[in-house]
Amino acid sequence: MREPPYQTVLKPYGQALVELARRRDDVLCLSGDLTRQCEIDLFAGAFPDRFIHAGMAEANMIGVAAALARCGHIPFVHTFGVFATRRPLDQIINAVACPRLPVRIVGFMPGVSSPGGPSHQAIDDVALMRCVPGMTVIDIADAVQAGQVCDAIVDLPGPVYLRLKRGEIPVIFDNGHHLALDHADVLTSGADVALFASGMMLAPSLAAAAVLAGHGIGVSVVNVPVIKPLDEATVTRVSSACKVVLTAENHLITGGLGSAVAEVLAESGAARPLRRIGLRDTFAEGAGTAPYLFGKYGLSTQSIVEGAWHALGLPGAAPEADVADAGAGEYSPV
Amino acid sequence: MTSPARLSDPGTHWEVADPERLATAIRLRAVRMVAAQGFGYLGQALSCAEQVAALFSVARPGADRIVCSPGHYVIAFYAAAAEVGLIPEHALDGYGQDGSALEAIGTERSPLFDYVAGSLGQGLSAAAGLALSDRLRARQVRTFALVSDGELEEGQVWEAAMFAAHHRLSALTVLVDANNSQVDGPVDTITTIEPVAAKWASFGWEPVELDGHDVRAVSLALAGARAASRPVALICRTSTAHGLDCLPPDADGHFIKLPPELAVAELTGRLERARA
Repeated sequence: MREPPYQTVLKPYGQALVELARRRDDVLCLSGDLTRQCEIDLFAGAFPDRFIHAGMAEANMIGVAAALARCGHIPFVHTFGVFATRRPLDQIINAVACPRLPVRIVGFMPGVSSPGGPSHQAIDDVALMRCVPGMTVIDIADAVQAGQVCDAIVDLPGPVYLRLKRGEIPVIFDNGHHLALDHADVLTSGADVALFASGMMLAPSLAAAAVLAGHGIGVSVVNVPVIKPLDEATVTRVSSACKVVLTAENHLITGGLGSAVAEVLAESGAARPLRRIGLRDTFAEGAGTAPYLFGKYGLSTQSIVEGAWHALGLPGAAPEADVADAGAGEYSPV
Repeated sequence: MTSPARLSDPGTHWEVADPERLATAIRLRAVRMVAAQGFGYLGQALSCAEQVAALFSVARPGADRIVCSPGHYVIAFYAAAAEVGLIPEHALDGYGQDGSALEAIGTERSPLFDYVAGSLGQGLSAAAGLALSDRLRARQVRTFALVSDGELEEGQVWEAAMFAAHHRLSALTVLVDANNSQVDGPVDTITTIEPVAAKWASFGWEPVELDGHDVRAVSLALAGARAASRPVALICRTSTAHGLDCLPPDADGHFIKLPPELAVAELTGRLERARA
């Protein structure tokens, strides 16, 4: 595990998809008019015959991808998360999920990482995809995972929704990290707080754990790249060993990671006091920068520290989280 | 005899001796399929009978792909498949009944099709994807898609139409069953979709407008589409009451209630006269 500020890289997913396509001629790449933004200009350059412009027409793009999958191709479909899930939901359900076809739907720019306002902020995509029968839902945390995820999902049975940060991608894990889809990763050990984090909320979760450790509070940070099917055993085991449970997601607290963890805890009888960090029944807004939105909508390191502090019933104000300054080409959580 | 998974599956075989007779047989079988309940998606079978008969005449068994975009139309394909010996006759008795593989609205479980969907407006995208896959793999097969005129109100149809034309998917041919019928009434009283042929033309397709109950004309147009350099749309003008005179004049085309005995007698008589 590296320390913030994290170095960033560009297009780790796009490079990984090209590498996969070199080995697998059944891999096709579809773009919904967001080719460079989804890192697949690399694929278009390397394999123009297997790159398909679907244009700004997501319903058709999903329908075409489903038919391609039916014929034995493995289509990777790319657009922003909002357009990948909200617009073609009926097509995903009827044309892809019902026949359990191996379409890989890749939605970039999760949650409030976009300052582009509610139309561009995928705050509900995990919830929408999680309720689709047979859909695997993955929220990637860093560039190391992004570089491995294409290989990891190409042969998964059934459809996959993959959520990826756009732009500069932080390198959080060491190079030796292995992205496993069958279990969540316990990254730190502590007996007070079980903190389950996915995607872009891993970085602030690790930062919050460090702040809390400085005040004698032990935090088990668990990275949950696969929100569905959820690693219920790890959720139950780590929660049972701690006093309180937190979840952190760049998403609404309804329907996503927080809901999934709550369901497991309630059904297992391992319930602990639970705080879900995420957007709370609200749309976000257009702004100048993503960090402003992460702060305003409670997705900051400080929000996690306070959530843990109050869940534990500790007296007084929660400690202040210092945020590492990020220079050019670096990434730090808010 | 087991039903073929898809008409395009290698080894599937059938023959059509007389397309006009097949169209009437489709009507008779469809009447019997809905007779158990006295109502059902009979209007769809009546309007598309000649198109389905023509498709079964022109499509190459075990090769060409068949897409039925409006899942409510599967009744006509089941009737045709039974008539040519691809589906056991007794299976039609279960049509739409509890536990039957022949659901009234086509699903993933439905036999015969490369794609069928009950959520309307999606079939043309699937057809385009199938045709695209065939081109990527240099497979010399055609894809035929039945689309209903009511579906033209769905934006996805036009997304798919643009996509297919842009990618020059000339192996794709669409039958638009222009029966002017949708759930709430005549299509032209709900949404003006005309001029349908001009719309397809402006989207880059080669449209052909024809009498959808002229089975010879539909067959010739389907066969002729093979020579086109663009995807072809056959705009088949039809009626949901065609070929069944005993229907009341105010029959609801989307979900017809019928006098089953009169209908069976009429169509059986017609088939026997044709044979004589």
